[in-house]
Amino acid sequence: MNWAEFKNIFNDCRLEGEKIIIESNLLKTIEFIKTNYHFNMLKEIIASDNGDGTTELTYRLFSPEDEEDLMISINVKDEAESISSIFESAVADEKEIFDLFGVKFIGNSELKRLYMPEGWRGNPLRKDYQENDERLTWNE
Amino acid sequence: MSKLKLNLGPQHPSTHGVLRLILELEGEKISSCEPDVGYLHRGMEKMAEKLSYIQYLPLVDRIDYLAGFFYSELFCRTVEKALGIELSLRVKAVRVLLLELNRIASHLLWMGSFLMDLGAVSPFFYAFRERELILKYFEKISGQRMMNNYFVFGGLRRDIAFLEDVENIIKILPDKIRDYENLITENPIFIQRTKGKGILDKETAFNFGITGVNLRASGINLDFRKKDYLYEEIEFNPVVLDGCDAAARYKGRILEMKESIKIISQVLEILRLEKEFKQQLINPLNLTLPEGEYIQEIEAPRGLASIYIKSTGEKSPYRLKWRTGSYYSVNLLRNILKGAYLNDAIAISGSLDIILPEVDK
Amino acid sequence: MNYLYFLYIEFLAKHNIPQLFGDLTFYIIPCCIIFAALLVVVLALVLFERKLLGWFTQRKGPNRVGFWGILQTLADAFKLLCKENITPRGAERFLFNLAPVVIFVPVMIALGLIPYSSEFTFMNFQTNLLIFIVIGAMPVLSILLAGWASNNKYSLFGAMRSVAQILAYELPMAFVILSVAALGSSLNLTQIIYAQSTRTGMFGWFGIPCIIGFVIMFICVVAELNRCPFDLPEAESELICGYNTEYSGMRFAIFYLSEYSMLFANSMLLAVLFLGGFLSPLGKYLSPIIFPPEISGVMVYFEQAFWLFAKTFLIIFVIIWIRATFPRMAQFDLLKFSWAILLPVSILNFFLMVIFKYLTGGGYV
Repeated sequence: MNWAEFKNIFNDCRLEGEKIIIESNLLKTIEFIKTNYHFNMLKEIIASDNGDGTTELTYRLFSPEDEEDLMISINVKDEAESISSIFESAVADEKEIFDLFGVKFIGNSELKRLYMPEGWRGNPLRKDYQENDERLTWNE
Repeated sequence: MSKLKLNLGPQHPSTHGVLRLILELEGEKISSCEPDVGYLHRGMEKMAEKLSYIQYLPLVDRIDYLAGFFYSELFCRTVEKALGIELSLRVKAVRVLLLELNRIASHLLWMGSFLMDLGAVSPFFYAFRERELILKYFEKISGQRMMNNYFVFGGLRRDIAFLEDVENIIKILPDKIRDYENLITENPIFIQRTKGKGILDKETAFNFGITGVNLRASGINLDFRKKDYLYEEIEFNPVVLDGCDAAARYKGRILEMKESIKIISQVLEILRLEKEFKQQLINPLNLTLPEGEYIQEIEAPRGLASIYIKSTGEKSPYRLKWRTGSYYSVNLLRNILKGAYLNDAIAISGSLDIILPEVDK
Repeated sequence: MNYLYFLYIEFLAKHNIPQLFGDLTFYIIPCCIIFAALLVVVLALVLFERKLLGWFTQRKGPNRVGFWGILQTLADAFKLLCKENITPRGAERFLFNLAPVVIFVPVMIALGLIPYSSEFTFMNFQTNLLIFIVIGAMPVLSILLAGWASNNKYSLFGAMRSVAQILAYELPMAFVILSVAALGSSLNLTQIIYAQSTRTGMFGWFGIPCIIGFVIMFICVVAELNRCPFDLPEAESELICGYNTEYSGMRFAIFYLSEYSMLFANSMLLAVLFLGGFLSPLGKYLSPIIFPPEISGVMVYFEQAFWLFAKTFLIIFVIIWIRATFPRMAQFDLLKFSWAILLPVSILNFFLMVIFKYLTGGGYV
């Protein structure tokens, strides 16, 4: 894809290694990339806790036509825009991230615990997650 | 008509493990499907953050116990790439050999259980008979049938041996695959059950992140082995079919097994010429990766598998994430089962080759 | 049967027992014989099927209990007897318990209608065949009861599928039976068998002129027995176990037993209608040659029973063979197959047979 052209439209983004880091407008950016550069597939969404209360979300887009990869990264606090309206596979990824990192995706209607049982406290992959020996009362 | 809510699983003969589908039925027609996973969650990603690299290595085979070599390879490869270790030709060839044997074993098991879902009992046993040959070989070289733990950072645990067994396997398999095809492929009931069932068109497949045979059976030539550095010396043609249905996915896997046999015979040729076994092993005890992010991909039997490691230079990864093919296939069930009948639903979910340990991680 | 009756009365008269007692007990004895024989046959059948399936799928089959695994089914039956009978909460208790009883009665009656040899039919009515058809469709009633009373969605699905299936396959079956009755000019099974003896050996069998009917009837029987590839009501990969998902212990054993008994009875009906029943395929009986003349008169009856059983087991073998080979059909295709193909062909077959009968005249009377 054409980086210069892209930079013209979205000002607040910068290139860092292979990643494009954006500050906001996640939904718009990804929609723009999908429609204009044929990145038709979302390989995965990687979440990583930064340790300061923010979570880095990395969207790995893929263009089957050119066999080209693209990574878009954004730092979010508790909430992020859901891209499930653009990529259906994001529903699954966002569910997982909601469960393990506690990031709420606005616009994804299927958010609920995935691996952890309903009523589990905390989000296991956050760095400040406290493992405790208190057993869940399963009957509740 | 009032709707009936049906819990398919987690204990159900044809959900292969512990997948739970919450179906809403009108008569026998499915109006909505909601997959519920997590019954086999082992916290693979959380464990990685606590363990050192060498401690985590034996666990990675267990992400998908039917195709353990792929995940082992993926993890070793990430470490090797990060540390700049080059593999010798023989080691690379051995890895391809084992990956492809593993792919055949995985597809054989899929074939057996898929036909079991369709109600044919015999192919299940026939498939297991041939899979047994491969597993016996794995046991011979690594001491383990499924969780082999044979690849290590920078090479192999020991040099490959008993190659005559592999020669025997690839001599037997084509005949057996022909037998399966005689029994199944032209069977009118099988055609009725699979032809035109579970249509997955290109757009939907991309949209749901489907990869692997399921994608190639929808007419898209996308095989990540083409860009894989292990497969540089090897010629093969990705199996691309344009049926888009369950029958095409079945056919695709059968053809892919044949393709794997071709790859194996090429590899055996390489191994015959390249006798020298040299590898550059590293001391794993104090292994740390340089700070940064590493992503590696591989074409596993159930689609694209990839690993993401974020390292801060510590003994264990700061964050490790797996991407597995089945996870997205399960998500696809929400869409693809809508409007199908209950007994077609079994055929469709079977044809996608979902394996639960991979989904739950 | 009359011959046996006289023998029995004579035997009682010798020991000064009044004839009334004989009249009363004469019909109880066959019932006991049927029940005992049924148990043995079913145990043998289960072993037969498991052994065959084992061989088809390159396994050994049962081979531990008793010599060659012979006692395996007995051990299984004993285990089932010892198991707890569980009635699920929310089940319709009375109907739930009634269903196994309901399925067992028609099976017993069906076995009584078959002529095992020329003199040995427990219930020899003029309209044996008609009764058999009526009785043969009755197990579905029990399946419906079991499926509905279990309060289990899978069971309900199994029951619904079963009813749809029986409705679809009973009709072509009736037309085929009608054409056989036309060929044999009778609704009595013994007379139908005798009608097949007008030509030497196998050439007189109705399976030859009525080959289309034979195939249709075979398919219908497989469908009616809910066996693969028509085993939708109890498709284990879809509906767990269908209508008997919730049954356990002895009640499950009764379902199992009656399933195999129906398999046996229906296969025997096929053998009677199309393969000459107890007639020897060679044209004449072998016992006068093998046995000395004093006992050969009695041995002929045993030989007749032997031929019938041999033919029956041949048919059962084919049914098991099909089970090992084919995948299961889909519900819609299954119904379509019956209504769109089998029914028209069976009607056509009926007219063909009537014309054939008219042309050959006495040949098949």
